[in-house]
Amino acid sequence: MTTAEGAAGDLPAAPDAARAAHRSPAIRRMAGALRAGETGAWRWSARVAVVLPTAALAFCVAVLAVKAAPAIGVNGLGFFTHSAYKIGSAYAPTVYTNGIAHPKGSAYGVLALIVGTLQSSVIALVVALPVSLGCAFALTERLPRWVSRPLGFAIELLAGIPSVVLGLWGVLTFGPILANNVYPAIARHMPNVPVLDWFRGTPGRGEGLLTGGLVLSLMIVPIITATTADLFRQVPPLPKEGAEALGMTDWEVAHRVTIPWVRAGIIGATALGLGRALGETIVLAMTTGSINRIAPNIFGSMSTFAAEIVTQLSSSLTDATGFAVATLAEMALVLAVISVLVNLVARWIVTRTSRLGGPVGSGV
Amino acid sequence: MADDASTTSPQVAPAVTEAKLAPGPVDPVLAAIDPDRGRPADAVVTRGLTLRFGEKTILSSIDMQFARGSITALIGPTGSGKSTFLRTLNRMNDKVQGFRYEGDVLLDGASIWTPGLDLLNLRRRVGMLFQRPNPFPMSIRDNVVAGVKAHRIAKGKQLDVVAEQRLREVGLWDSVKDRLGDSPFRLSGGQQQLLCLARALAVGPEVLLLDEPTSSLDPISTEYVEALLRQLAPALTLIVVTHNLAQARRVSHHTMFFYDGHLVEHGPTDDLFERPKDPQTERYVTGRIG
Ligand SMILES: Nc1ncnc2c1ncn2[C@@H]1O[C@H](COP(=O)(O)OP(=O)(O)OP(=O)(O)O)[C@@H](O)[C@H]1O
Ligand SMILES: [Mg+2]
Repeated sequence: MTTAEGAAGDLPAAPDAARAAHRSPAIRRMAGALRAGETGAWRWSARVAVVLPTAALAFCVAVLAVKAAPAIGVNGLGFFTHSAYKIGSAYAPTVYTNGIAHPKGSAYGVLALIVGTLQSSVIALVVALPVSLGCAFALTERLPRWVSRPLGFAIELLAGIPSVVLGLWGVLTFGPILANNVYPAIARHMPNVPVLDWFRGTPGRGEGLLTGGLVLSLMIVPIITATTADLFRQVPPLPKEGAEALGMTDWEVAHRVTIPWVRAGIIGATALGLGRALGETIVLAMTTGSINRIAPNIFGSMSTFAAEIVTQLSSSLTDATGFAVATLAEMALVLAVISVLVNLVARWIVTRTSRLGGPVGSGV
Repeated sequence: MADDASTTSPQVAPAVTEAKLAPGPVDPVLAAIDPDRGRPADAVVTRGLTLRFGEKTILSSIDMQFARGSITALIGPTGSGKSTFLRTLNRMNDKVQGFRYEGDVLLDGASIWTPGLDLLNLRRRVGMLFQRPNPFPMSIRDNVVAGVKAHRIAKGKQLDVVAEQRLREVGLWDSVKDRLGDSPFRLSGGQQQLLCLARALAVGPEVLLLDEPTSSLDPISTEYVEALLRQLAPALTLIVVTHNLAQARRVSHHTMFFYDGHLVEHGPTDDLFERPKDPQTERYVTGRIG
């Protein structure tokens, strides 16, 4: 560490050096020691920052695996091929399978939860992605500053609304409104042909897959919008002007130049939103009807992994053998694995598509 | 100002310009099938064009004619309004905050600000090449045909034909024919600029605006682009902004000198450089201002 003395002597003093020159040598030494300590602390905090999340993740997965171990063996592969959540009889004598204790008649299967989690996330994403891109485009390219500033702020506020509030609104207001005014029209006008007949059926009271997916999309729109708007701001003006000068419409400029320029980043933002959707719990527990089954149509009630875990927790704790809780841990483990897999796929897509992306913001 | 000189088309320009650019004898048969037959001799005309950003006047009352098939160089010190003028001609300035204009710009005799005019088609007819290459984030082939697709000039297999033809036209075909599906960002700067030129040419413009097209290129690429521009000239009307006075002399038939918010002088390039009428022009072309 160099002291200010020498520097202040022969070179034109930098502002800091000039100030330091007025202090006594003792104070200067102390300041020097402090700064050295600061550097050390900084280095250490960086190390901790790197290690901590990784360690936390590993610890989490390890604990889950240990807790889930008894259930994994007993539930077997059948766990993934049917749908059930039966704790079993608390009064009948305990049964042993491969030496693991569980109540008589217990049965668990998560097929519907896997399907439901993917379905609700996909619906949320399919709705949220175009809305978010449109919002981000309007915020960055279309609206005057005095509109886009407060609007951007409002969208960010939406991200801060506790999900339980959104869930309550979804089940009390949003769902019923849709079920009364929108869903019947969709159901009536969809032709009765394969695939599309999935959009037919009784809308019910608005608790189900579509309502859940739509409320979920409201939660991820702010995430994707904010990230994408930042990305759009990084696109240099020159390629966009080139496209305009070639006689492209604003829409063509967005779709052929601006969006592809940051395509990799948009996929990253989408993966972020998808991660949120896969793990979202309370909104889905409140708005989907929470029934462990595959929805018969898009309006039907169903459940997802996270929602099922939270709704089954208290009853599972009553299982004296602890088998229900072990199964919950297994479910959590499966959810974690699904999330990781989805992220890996997103990464893979990013590396594939960044090949033709812009030199900036493409993550290469 | 040298109004008499400016109205002269390059075909009857002074012998020295003529010799340098060698347009060749006028073939009566070619003249008869000339697609420009019956069109105004001037592709672009500006009438009392005044350009402002907010309260600041950038250029005032520019009257100028750009003869069809000629190359006009725009010279002048930094900030003299060359880019502003150029970007007005394809209406790129229209959406710039505070931009205002008076007067008019005529393309083939019709105002570019005619109400209800198809702006996209105007930009197809008046192409632009920028100071730095600006390829789009898509494959090399898709770059060339991006405008063609947008204007629905060709589709399907025809696009490959267009891509090859335009890449050949700019001399890029041989170096990229094996990597048409690759990213354009791995091409050299000069190659990227040629790609952008191919892209601009692909939509069949009548006028091409070039804002310092070679300022980011090395001398060899610059020379190549200049040669290309000279080849394009009879079919296209070119307007080139350049800081490189030697380049202006090498490629252009006409030169306009902007200084201090005015079009100080314009005329046949050799006249302007050899026999400038205005003392400011003389000082600029001899390297004493700017
Ligand atoms: N969007 C704008 N808003 C306000 N003033 C502008 C804007 N664009 C350009 N100007 C001003 O207009 C004047 C002319 O700029 P212009 O870019 O046309 O100069 P130029 O001759 O092309 O310069 P250079 O040779 O450096 O490219 C400059 O004083 C510039 O500050
Ligand atoms: Mg300029």
